[in-house]
Amino acid sequence: MEAMNVFASRLFPRENRFVSGHRACQGCGEALAVRMVHQLLGRNTMVASATGCMEIISSSYPDTAWSVPWLHVAFENAAAVASGIEVGLNILMEKGKLPKRRITVVGMGGDGGTSDIGLQALSGALERGHRMIYVCYDNEAYMNTGIQRSSATPFGASTTTSPAGKFSPGQQTWKKNLPMIAVAHRIPYVATACPSYPFDLADKVRRAAEAKGPAYIHMFASCPTGWRMNPELAVAIGRLAVDSQVFPLYEVVDGRLHLTHPVREPRPVKDYFAPQGRFRHLDEAAVARIERRVREEYQRLLERDGQILF
Amino acid sequence: MSELEMGKPTSFRVNGHEHQGVVGESLLLALRRLGYEVPSLCYHEAVSPYGACRLCLVEVGKGKRRKLTTSCNFPVQPGIEVFLDTDKVVAQRKVILQLLLAQAPEAARVKELAAEYGVSDTPFEKKQGNACILCGLCARVCREIVRADAIAFSSRGTTKEMDTPYREANEACIGCGACVFVCPTDCIGLKDENGIREIVRWHRKLPLKKCAACGRPFAPTFQLNAFAAQIGVERTHFDKCPDCR
Repeated sequence: MEAMNVFASRLFPRENRFVSGHRACQGCGEALAVRMVHQLLGRNTMVASATGCMEIISSSYPDTAWSVPWLHVAFENAAAVASGIEVGLNILMEKGKLPKRRITVVGMGGDGGTSDIGLQALSGALERGHRMIYVCYDNEAYMNTGIQRSSATPFGASTTTSPAGKFSPGQQTWKKNLPMIAVAHRIPYVATACPSYPFDLADKVRRAAEAKGPAYIHMFASCPTGWRMNPELAVAIGRLAVDSQVFPLYEVVDGRLHLTHPVREPRPVKDYFAPQGRFRHLDEAAVARIERRVREEYQRLLERDGQILF
Repeated sequence: MSELEMGKPTSFRVNGHEHQGVVGESLLLALRRLGYEVPSLCYHEAVSPYGACRLCLVEVGKGKRRKLTTSCNFPVQPGIEVFLDTDKVVAQRKVILQLLLAQAPEAARVKELAAEYGVSDTPFEKKQGNACILCGLCARVCREIVRADAIAFSSRGTTKEMDTPYREANEACIGCGACVFVCPTDCIGLKDENGIREIVRWHRKLPLKKCAACGRPFAPTFQLNAFAAQIGVERTHFDKCPDCR
């Protein structure tokens, strides 16, 4: 779908469900991703949102940026509430109190609300097999509260709780592989997406909505504020991340892995690191170490392309 | 409805409820904005309506008359009364879905809509292979959005089909893939392989240009030259891909 990008932007649904006027920082890749996802999901949608950037910027009383039913719930239970909504809607439809129609239930959270705090609620929802979409908007730290590290922060990144300095090289653990944790639940649809590839994203959101069970989308969401970079690079950085193999774009449909944008001749990882202040302190040896790991992980994906993972 | 009234606010009724609208606007678009659900396959808000798939049927009453019509190409008018999903509409829609199922038995969106209306099979003879439902959306997009006008309907009646002139690759096609993107039955097909883009159904093959900086093929050379001529810049303007530019 990526190949059709010239005119397809004019053929996207016009009406926004996440409208302008919210309070996101300039160049927010996450707000962009949220807007695209909900533009595509359309009107018959209910959203449960964990605490995070998207909650505080879109719903400061008495305003809201949402034109679909949207609930803010606690940090840890967005997935649990979304699964509850799905069950509740089914019961109301069975009792005849609601017309029988397809209502897409969406749970959303940041990387902190998904990979740290909300992981057990998400795991539960995926395991119970609710027909819902969970979207994790991954900006690789707790940006809302002031750039604290999360388990999704990549190795070497400097955050306020993993600061780079004389005694610390920044984040010292590797990024948690959340999409593969979702795959391990044997759910019908798992994908990684990036708003810099809007048509790839559109395809994945459509397929997630059509899935007959839980669907999980891991969304790359650039954060100029937290990544210490120019806001105008918010979209370009997504392309760099994909082209340097740092963020692989793939989907797992009924267990079968498919790389939607295979990168066989990658750019050097330092191209992706260069515009970001959070990686500024890394020396060549550290970058080479990260690059080795990135290549290794990507190679593993390439080898398993087209295979059944479970 | 005169020319003068076009674009003026007006009120009309839907299933007995009073609503505000704009004179001359597509009724389907107005209904969807108000939150009513009307199915359609051939309608896209970015291009002119055509009324080919017939799924957006509604009953429209004005004065004593009441008739069945497609809502996509019916303009909002003062004082009309619209009835959605009446028995008549639903019965008609089921027949239409049976016909569409015969034409495109494998198309996901057709199957999904049919299931929604409880149509599981079709009494008509199923067509093999080509799943085109002759909705003409690709041609409208090619003409109105891309402005290439590379495809059109040919022949009439039962042999009517959507294709390029003489069924040969058309020089006007820039290989943008907008038709592939909008096709409701996914029957056109696009491949990017070995540095060549192929739009399968229109037999168009175009070599892809490699970015001067990173070396990745990113768009057909023919398309980039056409864009350069359109916006009046040197051809070298598109030497690099959007990332390296």
